[in-house]
Amino acid sequence: MIPFEMLEPKSLRDATALLDADDPTIRPLGGGTALMLMMKAGVFQPSRLVSLRSVEPRYSTITVNSDGSFNIGALAPLASLEHSADIHKHLPVITRTMQVLSNVRVRNVATIGGCLAHGDPHMDLPPVLISLGAKVRVIGPDSERTIPVADLLTGYYETQLAKNELIAELIIPPQNGKRSVYLKCTTRAAHDWPALGVAVSVAGNRDGLSEAHVVISAATERAQRVEQASALLVGPPANDKLFKDAGEAAASAVELIGDSQGSVPYKRQLVRVFVERALRQAIDGGITQ
Amino acid sequence: MSTANKTIHFTLNGRPVTAEVAPHHTLVELLQNQFNLNGARESCAQGLCGCCTVLVDGKSVSGCLYLASFADGTAVDTIEGVADGVALDPVQEAFIEAGAFQCGFCTSGFILMTKQLLDAHPAPDDDQIRHYLAGNLCRCATYPEIIRAVKLAATKRKTVTA
Ligand SMILES: Cc1cc2nc3c(=O)[nH]c(=O)nc-3n(C[C@H](O)[C@H](O)[C@H](O)COP(=O)(O)OP(=O)(O)OC[C@H]3O[C@@H](n4cnc5c(N)ncnc54)[C@H](O)[C@@H]3O)c2cc1C
Ligand code: FES
Ligand code: FES
Repeated sequence: MIPFEMLEPKSLRDATALLDADDPTIRPLGGGTALMLMMKAGVFQPSRLVSLRSVEPRYSTITVNSDGSFNIGALAPLASLEHSADIHKHLPVITRTMQVLSNVRVRNVATIGGCLAHGDPHMDLPPVLISLGAKVRVIGPDSERTIPVADLLTGYYETQLAKNELIAELIIPPQNGKRSVYLKCTTRAAHDWPALGVAVSVAGNRDGLSEAHVVISAATERAQRVEQASALLVGPPANDKLFKDAGEAAASAVELIGDSQGSVPYKRQLVRVFVERALRQAIDGGITQ
Repeated sequence: MSTANKTIHFTLNGRPVTAEVAPHHTLVELLQNQFNLNGARESCAQGLCGCCTVLVDGKSVSGCLYLASFADGTAVDTIEGVADGVALDPVQEAFIEAGAFQCGFCTSGFILMTKQLLDAHPAPDDDQIRHYLAGNLCRCATYPEIIRAVKLAATKRKTVTA
């Protein structure tokens, strides 16, 4: 790796001032797991990294509120979500997703903020968080705004964040008994990234769903909601035929990318199968949250 | 732009130490170049194989993806600190008895990960072992023996603590 300057501000707000809206060679550093890979490969050559590791400890905490909503600091390591009893109780889909996300050492170091800001469409948590209706609170040198995770991700490794904005925390609303499932399909490509990720979250039962969210990732340029499938699911009896139709609707709605993990027609078939399967598991699996 | 070195202080295998690190140095480079500790070594350089495993404040990290400067103020433990003098750790004994390596390149990582695994799951089943060690690769493919070694280590630990 080439030499660079490293700054370690003590506050998140100070960190935003050390970034530069116009300079892409300056970036914040969370756990560094993604940045290290990019720096080692030479695809990112920083002039300055602003480490967030010394900012206020409250940005590493996980707070569950009385209504079952969560505030999770951007610097919280993924392992702290994995092992949180509150998350296991209220958001078991996150606990389960951690089991298929990378390895123990990466989860010990990678942060939730870095995970959301990285923008790699193959990652596992963004689709899950979108299906749960999560938002991020973002701060700049003299600004603050809250963005749904669904809108944060704008393209392949692209987000809505300005270069001097930082994710301060993740906000997950109460789930009120909704059931959620995340499935990924890995096709034994050399790098092990999935060909498809599907996250669904539904309220209701076999008689009918009052709410449904279907999110597709990995096969697309960014994790995204599939409104066509979600809309079709709300109302009628939630039988296998409906789930099959939702899979079909999702398969024809999303724009897929063919690559080493699979061709477009192959991934289209995966979408059909996995959306249907995820919905069936959400309804029948007894997985409540 | 200042790419100045930084002086860091940390505990290495129980001893307080000081080092000069550049912002772009990794923890593996620091351990090898300044402390002559070669048990953690870089192989894949991508966080996938576990050959560079070290413990920072009791948590396993990939030393190849971990900046040396992050070690400031922490306690770092490497494979060199696992044995108590000449007395091997039960996990080390188990790996030898089960023949859980051929070339040994991956072994330091597997042993440190196994110690963590047994702290989390004192009597792990095959699934737990496979899952926990999924981020460690053995090019000699001694996986069946490694699983046996982990189970043997679990029994040895129980006898030690009982
Ligand atoms: C070996 C390996 C295997 C992996 N496997 C998986 C997997 O199976 N599934 C999966 O989902 N992911 C996987 N990943 C990706 C991993 O999830 C990301 O590397 C990690 O989440 C990034 O978090 P970090 O804190 O290390 O980010 P960093 O590397 O510190 O930063 C990543 C990006 O986010 C920016 N950033 C960091 N924090 C903030 C913030 N608070 N506000 C704004 N911008 C910020 C940085 O500038 C950078 O652009 C894997 C990674 C590795 C190394
Ligand atoms: S060398 Fe670090 S994980 Fe492979
Ligand atoms: S023993 Fe040779 S790589 Fe594992």
